[in-house]
Amino acid sequence: MKGTLATLLVLVIAVSLFASGCISSNGQDQTPTQSNSNPEKSLVTIRTTGATFPQYQVQKWIEAYMKSNPNVKIEYEGGGSGHGQDAFLKGITHIGRTDPPVKESTWKKFLETGDQPLQFPWIVGAVVIAYNVPGVDELKLDGETLAKIFMGEIEYWDDPAIKSLNPNVQLPNKKIIVIHRSDSSGTTAVFTTYLTLVSKEWAEKVGAGKTVDWPVDKLGRGIGGKGNPGVVQALKSTEYSIAYTELSFAIEENLKVVALKNKAGNFVKPTDETIKAAVAAVKFFIPDPTEGYKEDSAQLMNAPGENAYPIIAFTHALVWQNKGGKHYTKEEAEAIKDFLRWVLTEGQKPENIAPGYVGLPPEVAQIGLKAIEMIQTG
Amino acid sequence: MSSFEVRKQKERLFLMGIGSLTFLALLPLFHIIATVFRNGLPVIIKEGLNFLTGTFSNGGIGPAIIGTFTLTFLASLLGLPIAFLVGLYAYEFPRSTVGRWTKMLLQIMIEFPTILVGVFVMQVLVVPMGTYSAFAGALALAIILMPYVAIYTHEAMREIPFTYREAGYSLGLTRIKVLLKILAPMTKRGIFTGVLIGVAKVAGETAPLLFTAGGLYESYPSSVTKPIGSISLLIYQLVQSPSPADHEMAWGASLILLIVFLGIFIPIRLSLKEVKL
Repeated sequence: MKGTLATLLVLVIAVSLFASGCISSNGQDQTPTQSNSNPEKSLVTIRTTGATFPQYQVQKWIEAYMKSNPNVKIEYEGGGSGHGQDAFLKGITHIGRTDPPVKESTWKKFLETGDQPLQFPWIVGAVVIAYNVPGVDELKLDGETLAKIFMGEIEYWDDPAIKSLNPNVQLPNKKIIVIHRSDSSGTTAVFTTYLTLVSKEWAEKVGAGKTVDWPVDKLGRGIGGKGNPGVVQALKSTEYSIAYTELSFAIEENLKVVALKNKAGNFVKPTDETIKAAVAAVKFFIPDPTEGYKEDSAQLMNAPGENAYPIIAFTHALVWQNKGGKHYTKEEAEAIKDFLRWVLTEGQKPENIAPGYVGLPPEVAQIGLKAIEMIQTG
Repeated sequence: MSSFEVRKQKERLFLMGIGSLTFLALLPLFHIIATVFRNGLPVIIKEGLNFLTGTFSNGGIGPAIIGTFTLTFLASLLGLPIAFLVGLYAYEFPRSTVGRWTKMLLQIMIEFPTILVGVFVMQVLVVPMGTYSAFAGALALAIILMPYVAIYTHEAMREIPFTYREAGYSLGLTRIKVLLKILAPMTKRGIFTGVLIGVAKVAGETAPLLFTAGGLYESYPSSVTKPIGSISLLIYQLVQSPSPADHEMAWGASLILLIVFLGIFIPIRLSLKEVKL
């Protein structure tokens, strides 16, 4: 008994000494910095949880904001839109993040807590169609052709449907490999929602959702990739393939992107300008922050406008109005208000926007600013 | 050629076959270690000490390192004593209903999807507490750690010949004394192997922490009831980003995690000596 217990004890103590040694040694490092920033205000930690689509952007905001506000620490946490809504509802995060606007049933659950939830867009991104076809540097597609490619009906790159859209491009007689997300994803939801809008056949046979039953998989020409990095990896290593991903990945990875035909009949590539044009065209559909969305995000897509890129995605922030200090302490509420106000003003300036995202036009940022003013500090 | 020569040749051929297959099996392991070092080392050298002590926005993963150590330590503290006793119980009463059930449950627990453990702890601890916490993360890890330790304890005890137990009884020792003073010390190696595998496993776990620990990378953890970070959780977060800088940081963090893992594993493994029967 003694022998075993002793050895066990020694192990536990050794581990604990090791751990506490690390903690205290770092604790010593930490104390001076803390006392440096402490004199005026105590540290406030704010947590934001949910959608990973705006990760790059949100991390950039956090970094820039904390530089000028050393007594506020903002913790980024991923987990996806669903987790963001759930964590927000349960009060374990301060700022929820969700790509698709909250559904009415979830919104009702929010209201049942006795506090008013506020939802507003804070950044725009786009889903782009990237391709890897050696020798082809420019490619134009319309929604219907795109749906047919992803449905597997168009099998070869030199199909007449693609050729007629690209009369001047030398298209190879190779089979098209379609790459899609294998995991549940907001990007897939945005992309398939667009396809249901532009193709009746897609709407009937496949539909929209975070995961769908890809018809190309059954034909043996589909590849699944885990996450956007997985999709990009598969695209780069597979010649004659096509995939959908987020604009930020396309920019960082230098992918060739398709110019898509928009509602007005023009072929547009995803750029700052074309995404802003799309936002301007659909901004009337963004409801009041206290309302929640009554319809889904479909009406925000395939925007009218000469120069509007068709597949844009708003990503939303969720905060509580904090009636009677129900969710935030006074310090937390003040920090949240200040951070979000900064995000919607300074944060929308080009120097604070990460590659692949587009700042909100001032009228749209105003929706969020209105919401922030409603947050009660105590 | 004489038949002896042929047999000699056969043996040589067989050994070569086994040798190359072993090499093939080990190749991925060395490849992983080499890749992590190749990609991670330049990042750590570039950032220097700041990588180990700085907060996230300052280019360091200090809070995550402390988080991993704290979580592993707390999980061991919660899980090891219980797991040891459970293993002893399952060994001592193999035919009793509770003993049989314990053993079966342990085998189920070892295969249980770790993400569900995280979800479970989130429901019972995180939601009522209203916050992620180091304690919740450690509890989730402890649930994953326990079956390993218990099963290894149980299996190690079973290897001891029954004669030792008889000898103990014949000296007039009680059941508990035989168990703890004679059998347990003899199985030290087996039990510690279990402890080691369990601890090393939870040190690198990500899934059970997703909904329990929450993550803390901008300041150092101060309390077990507050959120905490971990290296593996941070890596998972960083690789989802499109930013190459984040990927670099993830490689650096991977190297630190590998060093922590090997640092726990190798010294203890080497210091464990076979107990002479």
